[in-house]
Amino acid sequence: MLPHNATAVIARNETWEGSRASEPYECGWASEAIVYVRALETPVKLGATRARLQISPDGIRWVDEGAKFKLPAKKDALSFARLRHFGNWIRVAVDLPKGARIKLLVTIHLKA
Amino acid sequence: MSEMLRDLRLADPSLSRFDPMRRIICFDDFDRGFCGWTQLVGNYEHNLDSMNPSYQQHTQPQLSSVTHWDNGTHGGWDGTYALKVQTRPRKGSRNVAIKRLTFRKPGPIRLEFYFTFKPEANELRLSETDIRSVGFLYDLQDPHEGGHRVMPHLRFLNAVDGKHVQKWQFKRVTTDVRPLGTEGKTVTHDHLAPDGWEDLPGGQQKLCYNEIPTKVNWHYARFDFDLAAMRMLEFQCNDRVFDLAPIGPIVMPAMRNLWCMLNIAFFAETDVDKRALYYIDSVCLSGEF
Repeated sequence: MLPHNATAVIARNETWEGSRASEPYECGWASEAIVYVRALETPVKLGATRARLQISPDGIRWVDEGAKFKLPAKKDALSFARLRHFGNWIRVAVDLPKGARIKLLVTIHLKA
Repeated sequence: MSEMLRDLRLADPSLSRFDPMRRIICFDDFDRGFCGWTQLVGNYEHNLDSMNPSYQQHTQPQLSSVTHWDNGTHGGWDGTYALKVQTRPRKGSRNVAIKRLTFRKPGPIRLEFYFTFKPEANELRLSETDIRSVGFLYDLQDPHEGGHRVMPHLRFLNAVDGKHVQKWQFKRVTTDVRPLGTEGKTVTHDHLAPDGWEDLPGGQQKLCYNEIPTKVNWHYARFDFDLAAMRMLEFQCNDRVFDLAPIGPIVMPAMRNLWCMLNIAFFAETDVDKRALYYIDSVCLSGEF
């Protein structure tokens, strides 16, 4: 049987300001993930803000995994981060500075 | 159904917990992956902002090992994974997973599945009234012009405002159908809007919930429907059997793109600012043809 892969849209057309995180996504069946962020409108005042991938033992409590990546600077631009050995849950977290805003699409691409 | 067919299925451990009609249309064991189950995305045209806000909140279903902070992995009925439908942590939030098929024979069909539900276990208390409801629906359409789009809905209303209600309900109304965009091809309506639920006669049922928020027990459900008459027939949950002949589904004029549609959906709603988790272990859809 071919190995499983799946794409999960975990934030669609959401406008993020301040400290935000995507909803917990359980995917312990997968051994690798790429997380993409696409800006649906021109982002505002992002500066050098970097998003963080977080992992969790229970889907409730979260720690930074260590992977960080810049958010896309233009409408329809993409940014991404790769992740392996993440256990059972993944989410994307970011602390945006005051006045910063991004409307985004966040997707996780998973392979067994 | 022949005795041989019945005996063959009873001898198969994966199927013997179901009572399928003659032909199995699909058998979804989530140890094999998502099996065609995805999120119910709302309709839109030109811009995602045109999507009905109640659909904006929907997210992807997950393959879950039903794992908890205090006792580890619970697993499914007979393997590791179940399909998980997870709401956002806001009172009244809902989420919907859907499988999209079409039918080839208008006649009796049977949906069977094993399910359970729990709130996110982020408090050290029973939390039995945190989930508002879990349920399922079909989204169907007649094969011919002049026919109807028909949407039978059933939900287990677990709790409302802290009261442990525990009864089955059905729905015959949706919201107004609203056109989207500028091309005159797409519309939207919210058939899962909170208003319009009615009590199923005799529909009180106490389901095993267990004693802390991280112990789960699986429940059996069977829903019989006639695609020829577009009528609900019978519903079973565990030991209880409910006659559905007296009740009706949501009915509206047929839509231009949905002929022979056979969609199945599972949905959950939370009654507090905490995620509702609705687990489906396996699904068997069968038909009498």
